[in-house]
Amino acid sequence: MNRAQLVIPFFSRLPPIVWALLLTVAFGALYNPQFRTVDNAMNVLEQSATLAFLALGQAFVIAGGLIDLSVGQLVGLVTVVACMGFEAFPGWGLPVILGCLLLGAVVGAINGTLINRLRMPPLILTFGMLSVLQGCIFMLTDRSVGSSIPAIDFIAHGRITGIPASLILVVIATVIAFYCLQRSTFGWHLLAMGNSASAARKAGLNVRGLALNAYVISGLFAGIAGLVLAGRLGTGFPNAGVGLELDSIVAVVLGGTPLKGGRVNVVAILAAVLFLGTISNLLNLMQVPTFTQILIKGIIVILAILLERPRWAAAPQ
Amino acid sequence: MSASALAKRPLLSRHLLDKAAVWIVLLILLIAAGFVSEAFLKLNYLGNLVRQAAPIGITAVGVTFVMILRGVDLSVGAIVSMSAVVCALVMDGKAENLWLAIGVTCATGSLIGLANGLLIAYGRVSSFILTLGMSIVVYGLVQMGTGGTARGIVSPGFREFLNDRIGNVVPTLAICFVIAVVVGIFLQSQTRFGRNVYLVGANPHSARLAGIPAVQTTVIAYCVSGLFAGLGGIALLARTGVSGTNPGAGMEFDVLAAVILGGTTFAGGRGGVGSTFAGVLVLFIALNLANVAGLPFAAQLTIKGIIIIAASAAHAWIGRSGGDRTE
Repeated sequence: MNRAQLVIPFFSRLPPIVWALLLTVAFGALYNPQFRTVDNAMNVLEQSATLAFLALGQAFVIAGGLIDLSVGQLVGLVTVVACMGFEAFPGWGLPVILGCLLLGAVVGAINGTLINRLRMPPLILTFGMLSVLQGCIFMLTDRSVGSSIPAIDFIAHGRITGIPASLILVVIATVIAFYCLQRSTFGWHLLAMGNSASAARKAGLNVRGLALNAYVISGLFAGIAGLVLAGRLGTGFPNAGVGLELDSIVAVVLGGTPLKGGRVNVVAILAAVLFLGTISNLLNLMQVPTFTQILIKGIIVILAILLERPRWAAAPQ
Repeated sequence: MSASALAKRPLLSRHLLDKAAVWIVLLILLIAAGFVSEAFLKLNYLGNLVRQAAPIGITAVGVTFVMILRGVDLSVGAIVSMSAVVCALVMDGKAENLWLAIGVTCATGSLIGLANGLLIAYGRVSSFILTLGMSIVVYGLVQMGTGGTARGIVSPGFREFLNDRIGNVVPTLAICFVIAVVVGIFLQSQTRFGRNVYLVGANPHSARLAGIPAVQTTVIAYCVSGLFAGLGGIALLARTGVSGTNPGAGMEFDVLAAVILGGTTFAGGRGGVGSTFAGVLVLFIALNLANVAGLPFAAQLTIKGIIIIAASAAHAWIGRSGGDRTE
């Protein structure tokens, strides 16, 4: 009795996306023998790493009521720059890696500064930045260039006692993001800004500083995601990041974050990333044609946003 | 009271400036282009420019309504793809299927728009994510329908007619674009629907309290957006002649860029179809200029991004209300 009282509220408080993930995994494990192998599970976790980093970064921005459409192309840029750097400066792996992370943070800082200075809607500014970054990528190269280095390969493919190295990195990043967003003053201030930027400013919060920080963090995470992707691909593919910005936004929204910000659940966002990865993996194993998979993905996005019915849904359209 | 009366006059001129800004930019660009090459100011080139811009321009007319309404329609690229494919499939290379194909295509576009509108108006969800999901669904349907290869053959006479030049000067497709803009301006300024779009976009809450049918307006706006995207698909088919599998890929970004350039911001209640027309032309002239200057495609992408940022910053500076994300 006592036990049930403890257990039931715990499960009823789980975000819906966690239920969706559990149900998908349960369905897959029951009906597909290939799916329930440990190796496949590790594969799914490994493949989800890039999107996980991006979604975590995007969570900071969206929690503050902003948005970052530039992260997809930023991932592409970092992937290209990293691989070019690794090839051009053999033996200088660490400085190149740090340079790539710095590149991500700098692009984030430019986003944040321009939004603050020009007082522009973040959607438009980062949308313009998407195009600018895409141009930068193609000015560098129009084909796959350079190569990865063993250290980056290990992060992308390596296993530490059977556990993917990328999973360990994702878990560390998630813990940090959880602490920053849901347990720190910075997170509280960011969420306050997401709830109402004008109220947050009147309460004496440094709204501009918060926005700048959110974008720098988002850029930094995109830098990490780009490095991991470089390891996965083994080469700098200029179109590597196309569409990733939308995937990351979808993951954040599936994780129950309203696009207007003010509320965030980092664990649910990670569950959403895994949900998307698991669905894709399961459909592949069930040999569903690619085009049908695309259709299913779209329906999931529409259903998710309709079913989530966020708190602000009460507001007029 | 007196303070507001005093403040009224500069506000009015600022409003005018907001409307005229994109036209001023267009004029400056044309003059600049004229200095680069005489050819830019010839009627032939201008006709070509408008023709080249037709698929994106026609689509942008519809999206303008959605954006005035504080919404966004990311599904137009996919709808354009679908229309081109559907149109080519129904035509099937037969002349007698021409009008049937155009009718079916328009109906398909409107239907997807209707689905967008109903889900957004009744589900009260973010138009950004919903239309994004819809674009993925439509893209999936198109790929399933075509099986990943170009299918369908256009009717004889279809391409010839639309790519012809009336009086050997003005391309038919350019006239179609202009007609679409005129229809859009009529919808926006002469109909109750047009007025409601502005009112709901400027302040959804007050509009609803004032008894304006917000839900109905929203549904119609997305329908209009879908319909114009369908027409844009037909225009694209006329230009390429082959349906391809995903000819409208990424077009939603160009359409958005043009609409934003015209001054219809995400804040809603501002801008209009006329400004969008100018925005489309500015975008295309700028890209053509970059082309003439010998800049590579990559540089053109960067320029496009900078134009979007600069235009939006200018509109935010002029209007302030557009750039205030605090609401």
